[in-house]
Amino acid sequence: MNIFFLIILIFFSGAILSFIINKIAPKFSGITTFITIAVVVFLFFTQIEINSITQFSLGGIQMQFGVNNYTYIFAILVLGLSLLASLYSIKYMQNNDRLGYFYSNFILTVTGMLGIIFSRDFISFFIFWEIMTWSSYLIVLYNGKHSSKSGMKYMIFSAIGAYAMLTAIVSIKGSYGTFIISDAIQQGAFNFSENIYIPIMLLIGFAVKAALMPLHVWAPNAYSKSPMSFTSIFSGAMSKMGILGMGLVLASVYSQTTNDNTFSVLVLKQVLGWLGGITAVMATIYALIQTDAKKLLAYSSVAQLGYIIVGLSTGTKLGVMAALFLAVIHAVFKGALFMVAGAVEKQVGTTDMTKISGLIRKMPFTFFTALVSIIALAGIPPLGGFVGKWMLYEALITESNNYFLVIVIFFSSTAAFLYSYRFLFGLFLGQEEKETEHVKEAPVTMIIPMVILALILIVTGAYPGILFEPIAHGMHYLGFSDVNWDMSVLVNVWGEESNMAYINLSIGVVFVVVFLFLTIKGYKGTKNVGTKDISTSGEIPTENENLTFQLDFFKPFERAAAPLYKRSMDKIWNDLGNALEAIFDFTRRIYTGNGQTYALFVIIFLVILLIFKNTLFTN
Amino acid sequence: MEDLGLKIFGAILTTILGFVVGMTYGGIVRKLTARVQNRYGPPFYQNFLDLLKLQFKKTNIAHGFMGHMAPVWIIIAAVTVLMFIPILNGHLWFPNLSFHGDLIFLLYMMVFGSLGMALGAGQTGNPNSAIGVTRGLSQMVGYEIPFVLSLVALMIQYKTTSVQDLTQIQHETGVWLAVANPFAFLAALMASLGMFRYSPFDIVGAPAELASGPVSEFGGKYLGTMMSGGAIFSFIKLTLYVHLFLGGAGNPEKTGIIAILIGLGILLIKTFILYMVPVFYGWINPRYRTEQAIRYFWGWPTALGIIGVLWAVY
Amino acid sequence: MVITPIHYIIVPLIAAFAIPLISKIHKELYRIVPGIVMFYNIIISFVLMKEVNEVGYISEIIAGWEAPWGINLIITPFSGFLVSLISVLGFLIWLYQYRFKKVIDVGEIKSYGIMQMLMITGAIGIIITGDIFNLFVFMEIVAITAVSLTSFYRGRDGAEAGFKYLLIGSFASAMVLLAILILYTQVGTLNMAEISERMHLVPQGIKATILILFIVGFGIEAELFPLNGWAPDAYSQAPGPTSAAFAGIVVKAGIYGLIRIIFTLFDIDGAFDFLIIAGLVTMIIAEFSAVKQTNLKRMLAYSSIGQMGLVLIAFGIGTKEAVFAALFLMFNHAIIKSLLFMTGSILMYNSKDKTILSIHGIAKKLPYVSILFAIGSFAIVGLPPFSGFWSKLYILTAAANKEMILLIIAILAVSIVEIVYYFRVVSKLYFAEDTEHIEIFKPSINSLIAMGVLAITIIVIGVYPDLITGYLHNAADMLLDKTSYIKFVLNNNVQIQ
Repeated sequence: MNIFFLIILIFFSGAILSFIINKIAPKFSGITTFITIAVVVFLFFTQIEINSITQFSLGGIQMQFGVNNYTYIFAILVLGLSLLASLYSIKYMQNNDRLGYFYSNFILTVTGMLGIIFSRDFISFFIFWEIMTWSSYLIVLYNGKHSSKSGMKYMIFSAIGAYAMLTAIVSIKGSYGTFIISDAIQQGAFNFSENIYIPIMLLIGFAVKAALMPLHVWAPNAYSKSPMSFTSIFSGAMSKMGILGMGLVLASVYSQTTNDNTFSVLVLKQVLGWLGGITAVMATIYALIQTDAKKLLAYSSVAQLGYIIVGLSTGTKLGVMAALFLAVIHAVFKGALFMVAGAVEKQVGTTDMTKISGLIRKMPFTFFTALVSIIALAGIPPLGGFVGKWMLYEALITESNNYFLVIVIFFSSTAAFLYSYRFLFGLFLGQEEKETEHVKEAPVTMIIPMVILALILIVTGAYPGILFEPIAHGMHYLGFSDVNWDMSVLVNVWGEESNMAYINLSIGVVFVVVFLFLTIKGYKGTKNVGTKDISTSGEIPTENENLTFQLDFFKPFERAAAPLYKRSMDKIWNDLGNALEAIFDFTRRIYTGNGQTYALFVIIFLVILLIFKNTLFTN
Repeated sequence: MEDLGLKIFGAILTTILGFVVGMTYGGIVRKLTARVQNRYGPPFYQNFLDLLKLQFKKTNIAHGFMGHMAPVWIIIAAVTVLMFIPILNGHLWFPNLSFHGDLIFLLYMMVFGSLGMALGAGQTGNPNSAIGVTRGLSQMVGYEIPFVLSLVALMIQYKTTSVQDLTQIQHETGVWLAVANPFAFLAALMASLGMFRYSPFDIVGAPAELASGPVSEFGGKYLGTMMSGGAIFSFIKLTLYVHLFLGGAGNPEKTGIIAILIGLGILLIKTFILYMVPVFYGWINPRYRTEQAIRYFWGWPTALGIIGVLWAVY
Repeated sequence: MVITPIHYIIVPLIAAFAIPLISKIHKELYRIVPGIVMFYNIIISFVLMKEVNEVGYISEIIAGWEAPWGINLIITPFSGFLVSLISVLGFLIWLYQYRFKKVIDVGEIKSYGIMQMLMITGAIGIIITGDIFNLFVFMEIVAITAVSLTSFYRGRDGAEAGFKYLLIGSFASAMVLLAILILYTQVGTLNMAEISERMHLVPQGIKATILILFIVGFGIEAELFPLNGWAPDAYSQAPGPTSAAFAGIVVKAGIYGLIRIIFTLFDIDGAFDFLIIAGLVTMIIAEFSAVKQTNLKRMLAYSSIGQMGLVLIAFGIGTKEAVFAALFLMFNHAIIKSLLFMTGSILMYNSKDKTILSIHGIAKKLPYVSILFAIGSFAIVGLPPFSGFWSKLYILTAAANKEMILLIIAILAVSIVEIVYYFRVVSKLYFAEDTEHIEIFKPSINSLIAMGVLAITIIVIGVYPDLITGYLHNAADMLLDKTSYIKFVLNNNVQIQ
């Protein structure tokens, strides 16, 4: 049997199996999911050859499956993260209801993503896209009545995106007579001088999943309301499907730029770049006023996706490379962070930062993961996040000359320190209050995936070349020739470099020296005390005094940035929704429920037709 | 191996230089401030005495792992950044690693220490520390904007992102970048007021309000180590500014011992003058609230930065 | 015994008269016999479709009068496809309603099975007849049975809905009859093939008038806006199985009538544009109205109207692939909407006041029905891998090939509205605070089988549409190939083996 079909089949049967097993033995539902994904991961990396193509036809439409160098990047990302998330999920979801429902949709979502990666034609792409969408929608609903509204929002926006995409797809078929992606590209389907709305429609479709402003409003709620083991792939991997599509479209748009469409391509770049930038800023400032850790991370995801889109919008080698690198790294650290939030939720029962604090001693491994991931998220050297950020800035400054966008991005990533700190402080640092005394470290199967992700971040910081290699191949597929990369040296087009090896060397040496110095010196005289043993203006607080500082954390910033908070995209969309509801209500009233009215309708209709018969029905 | 030995020697020497200069400047400022306020003030070497006292304290209070790590992080950030900026232009003794990192890297690396500090302060559980940290981070968002604007202006004006190259350009043309792009310089200068956290931007530590903010729970070896890190950091910021805007110091054509000493002398003079700017500004201004501080940086400094970028483009 | 198209008509008619008699033997026969008839219909369809695939056409002459003078029944791949669909659906609906508690309780059980059977027979008759007056007769059969089924529950609401249906339905009959009369005065024949052949003789103005009368007449059955006022009431008041039959069978017959008239009888270009516009308006208004409904069956009814609008749009595009897509959509709509009405009725019977609000969280008590309803919802809004996706895709592709971008956008925008109201219900079924339910009315096992078969069909066709596309292509070719239809009916009358 063909390997692609086999993988899809394994997934589907895994989905059904995990549903059935839940009825018999709920405990094994999660394990089934993990095994299913593990088998697929094994098959994928041992059996699949890059650039092999399988042709088949379904419903009279020619379809192709295959993996190319570009989609391979995303395949690694999706499969790796899904495997870890499913392992994590076993303990995380334990004792929950409807596990079969959860796990079968979990697998279906992964199937959708992998299917998108396999697809070489628009129809199977779209089919898997939709499978991914509705199965994830069902998981968003999973947490009960509070999430049905967010689920609805997610589904509506996904539908808008998907149907924009479908419009483009059928238009391609109408104009170029093919559904095969590469054929369409070759014939110039994404050429701006031929038609402008096909690529734009596709980009809108992908932008929804990539949570680009103004289509992002579904994301914060959907991310934070789903179970965390799922959100880690929801935000980590699924949003990257939008990036995958955008990258594909934009690369063709750029490479087919000719003299007569330079201007429109330029406009596209600017619009996309600025939208990405504004997304990043707005999501960041909303992230830092959240009190729920999950919500904070959700907004942060939106912001990070903004950077990635900015990278793609530059259309330069370094920019696209930065975008792809950030896409992978974001998957890793945001996957890890949502797992951290999940671990806290599991062990403490809430992720409301105003309710918990001081978990560091209780959950050291979780804290370690959180710390490493946050450092990567904030883009502080020497971790992988920095590499991505560096390339992004350099691309904007040296290659695409978008100087003010740099400032916007920089503002957003500086403000990101605020919520990064908020996250770490809110959950792990600060006063240890009585309420969290009983908390223990998360189970080991939850720790393992988190720590693996953290280690990946550390390794990619020192050797970003590990990721550059597949990315460079992928970019070659997209049409960027001569992509240079080095194992651990970052170079921009002006020839300046940042050498991760030296950076790590310096940091490592100083770390060892100072750490040893601080630890050994006066070791015996060092007294370890708890968080109640502090001095506040000469007073020593008592056991029961609550000194937790969690409310209005960044109030000064909020006050300073008040104008930015005034306008909310949510409100605009809500108003639009209300207006539509009013229209629906109005049309409903056409059907009065009165038989006489209906009879009148019939007669009026007949009369109108008879009056206009000569204009309506002529040969 | 001889080469490596020399490099290590250079690195250590640089660190010591930064430490000593930073500490001394701090001491001098304490003295000057006291005189301005009509006090007698401590001697200029008081900082060294403080440090020794702290380091020789017999008992130390540790508030957990992050508290233990905070000083380490600060030193890591300080020393690493120091390694990546040129001390003297084209110098043989301690070029350190200044060819291997550029401005973007330095920008981010400088935050590393603050984050470590913030995390350490967070773990102590003292609410004052955390409040101080949030203020500090908020203020940082304020002053980073004009600072980055001015850096971007320089980068695009001279098509380089390396400090070393920018210094070299000033050396070759003989024109200071402070003159070549005055708006960028002004923006950066105003941003530096926030960076040094002297009044009116001393809301972070805010004596009499937050105890001493983030550091309030640290003592003994921890506080001492932090102080050393802080001292190195002020030297770093000053040196960076001198190399970016004030023509740098040192002469790559002359590598004799005398030339080096002259170079160092110039560096010291320039840094000291630069250091006096925030100090003077602080003497005559009362403390801002955080949002006022942020608004301040988003006002004129940012506008100047934008003009600086436009200046560089056209 | 040789199976010929007349069996479709004769067997149910005989059964209808025989049932009251033979039921003296055993009361249960009231319910069983219609099922046997329905099953026999499937056998007829199976045999005839096989034959049609070999021969291409089947025509049966009744009472020895050859066309164009006599009445004849014609099975083409097109009509054969629809008839098979209706037969299978009819059987499934019977299976569903067999031992349907709410029907049994009312007590009028004798008439129920018979009328349901006759309604289906009427619908089949509309499709297979080659004679336009005969078509009218069958339409009347459908209308009368449908009206009485609508008011089957003898309540105030049922009577009101039945009356509205009767009122509007009589308009339909009058219009169609009038149209046939005028047509007969012009061409002097009632055989559709011959009418089509002589159509060019009719003056343009009269032609248009006739067409308008037909459109209004059949449009009422096909739920064209603004002629569809009766539909929401009728759908929501009729017993569950009947609603399913309305959506799956009656409407299809109405659409068939409209399409047959426009495609075979007339060759007026404007009619196609009219179909698109009328379909679009119908679709938009119906789907918009559906959002605000509080009664589940009303909501489904509006959705059904909307889908019919889409079918008309597809026919209006008029290319071969568009007709193919329209047929596919009719097929999908038949199975999906039947499933939705079947499950929806059960859900409604479990609600206190027939509102969506009162079935919140019912999935715990009715897991199978809920999941079947969810599958139906997913399919009807056109999500892959359910069958609804393919028909939508083909329609859009057909529209794109004619570069009707605005039409595509309108269809998709309406689909989003569809998603809103369907998913709202589905999510409430599963994830909402339980409301107080009345005594749970569980579906019997045969109902579950009927619904399960439909759901499986939806999924199987969704995953592998090639199972059915071949038939649909044949049918579409046939519908567009007017000349060979005329030639066949008028010249080649000996087809009964």
